[in-house]
Amino acid sequence: MISLARKSLRHEWRKFLPAILALSFSGLLLIAQAALVLGIFGSAAVYVTASSADLWVGYPGTKSVSFGRTLSPDLAMRLRMDPDIRAVESYIWVDGDWRGKARQQGAVSVYVSGIDTRAEAMMFSRVLPAALRARLREPGAVVVDPADLDQLGAHVGGSAWINGQPVQVVGVISGLRALGGVNVLTSLDNARLLDSTTSPADSATYFVAQLRTPGSLAKVRARIQANPAFGAFELWSAKEFASRSQHYWLFDTGAGVAVFFMAIIVCLVGAVITSQSLLALVVASAREYATLNALGVSFQSLARVLVEQSMWVGAIGLLIGGLLSAALLSLAALHGVPVSMSVPVALLCAVLVLALAFVSGLLATRGLWRADPAMLLR
Amino acid sequence: MHPPTQRSAGPSIVAQGLRKSFVSGEVPIKVLDGVSISIAAGELTLISGPSGCGKSTLLSLLSGLQKPDAGSVEVWGSDITRLSQKALQRFRLEHTGFLFQGFNLFGALSSLEQVQLPLGYLGLSDREARARAEQALEEVAMAHRAHSRPAQLSGGEKQRVAIARALAKRPQLLFADEPTSALDGENGQNIVNILHRVAREHGTTVLCVSHDPRLIRNADRVLAMEDGQIGREWRPAHDMQSARAADSQGIQHEA
Repeated sequence: MISLARKSLRHEWRKFLPAILALSFSGLLLIAQAALVLGIFGSAAVYVTASSADLWVGYPGTKSVSFGRTLSPDLAMRLRMDPDIRAVESYIWVDGDWRGKARQQGAVSVYVSGIDTRAEAMMFSRVLPAALRARLREPGAVVVDPADLDQLGAHVGGSAWINGQPVQVVGVISGLRALGGVNVLTSLDNARLLDSTTSPADSATYFVAQLRTPGSLAKVRARIQANPAFGAFELWSAKEFASRSQHYWLFDTGAGVAVFFMAIIVCLVGAVITSQSLLALVVASAREYATLNALGVSFQSLARVLVEQSMWVGAIGLLIGGLLSAALLSLAALHGVPVSMSVPVALLCAVLVLALAFVSGLLATRGLWRADPAMLLR
Repeated sequence: MHPPTQRSAGPSIVAQGLRKSFVSGEVPIKVLDGVSISIAAGELTLISGPSGCGKSTLLSLLSGLQKPDAGSVEVWGSDITRLSQKALQRFRLEHTGFLFQGFNLFGALSSLEQVQLPLGYLGLSDREARARAEQALEEVAMAHRAHSRPAQLSGGEKQRVAIARALAKRPQLLFADEPTSALDGENGQNIVNILHRVAREHGTTVLCVSHDPRLIRNADRVLAMEDGQIGREWRPAHDMQSARAADSQGIQHEA
């Protein structure tokens, strides 16, 4: 059977270009937006995702890593006693003000992460090399993301003040960028010095732990949470706590609604432009379609041709949009823009683009109403 | 609905009391006013008349493209005005071919593909459709342009491809609306000859609407239409023979 849809597309591709480009750009916008969302909101959980801890213990109801409160050191003891837990370490979160050497520069909000400096430590183990971790033991030593250096007015080897205490940048590592502030890594001891609040010695904002066997989380949770003697706390798996932090930023701050709203606008504009340019093509060929109908080809069959055509347009648009997105995202990543993409999200964007093409094709079948064979007689 | 298996001398289309009006603005315009007509198979019937006389509307009713306000159109004894839209499409698919003044060919398809396209909807296999399409193009002497696209064809060639598209379905009924009006003398004559041959050789009912004098000369039967009604009817070839006979008699008489 002659495929009118494919033949038309191959020989008259220029006419289909507006529709193809409309879908390509819809795809590009959706993917870029999703990548930025994943990148930016993913950074809300960088403390969890860059670390190798299996479980996190924090203040009950903590919605995001940045909202932790002080926990009693007894809790760490209780965790160490559990037979299924292999290792426990403290993690201290301190909100700070960074002041550079230059007098005219104002303060920058920083999130100080006080972490264990032993070689086998869990916090930031996925991004922090052992040698640099060891250097954090030096008094006042800090590590930041290279992309944040400009904002801090700092350079490797340079010094500054956090909460009035002198610090020195001993190195930089990528993958530390934060949402709404700058992440600064230092040792637990240094962090305690920077903490202006009066917290008891050995207390921490979180205790993180590694399990002996990965599947034993439920058992551990039941055992530890059953005992109220260690004060108020809650226990999450690393995955739970990461998505909790991301969900907070996405849904509780209204940012998610804005992103969702933008995605709807992208889809709407894409559908309008695509269906209008497809409709123009149908109307331009109305006499030919009408002739086929006069020869007995049903409107349903003609509509099927149009929808097939729009699905091909969608597939080509998706391909172009995908290539453009890949190029754009690599360029963004190269320049330190927080972007990230996962297979399920990429697939979702692809499905959205194809759905857009399908809906546009259906809308364009309206043009067939003008293909009444009686109009061919004069 | 089934066409008679043998070529019969009886009419294949019988219309009775056809009425059709359109509303232009708020004024209803009566286009057809009780037209009754019968069209025979195996000949080229021509409906002729000034523009606006209702001849194209009559063609659209007889071919099942539109339904009349009143009256009936019986094709091989069945009234097609009672058919549903879907059944009417099926009827057109299986039994009718159309030629229009504009050739209405798809710019992206070669001549062969234009002809092959409707055959796919008839349920023919690719091979069968291709063979039939090649045969149809040969019949209109267009086999040598089978792989050309419309942009590479002249007006006459395009109309021949359009005829091949209509013929490849092997329709028992072929309807043509001003098929020669966009063509020059030679190309027009070519189309007329093909239509005539189709009627004679395939026993097809060929109904043509035109005011082209070339067609009038070559038609088997001419119906003159005026103001929504059929007026005079004559058979040009027959009349010419009679005239010739009368002339020869006159000569003998004089001798």
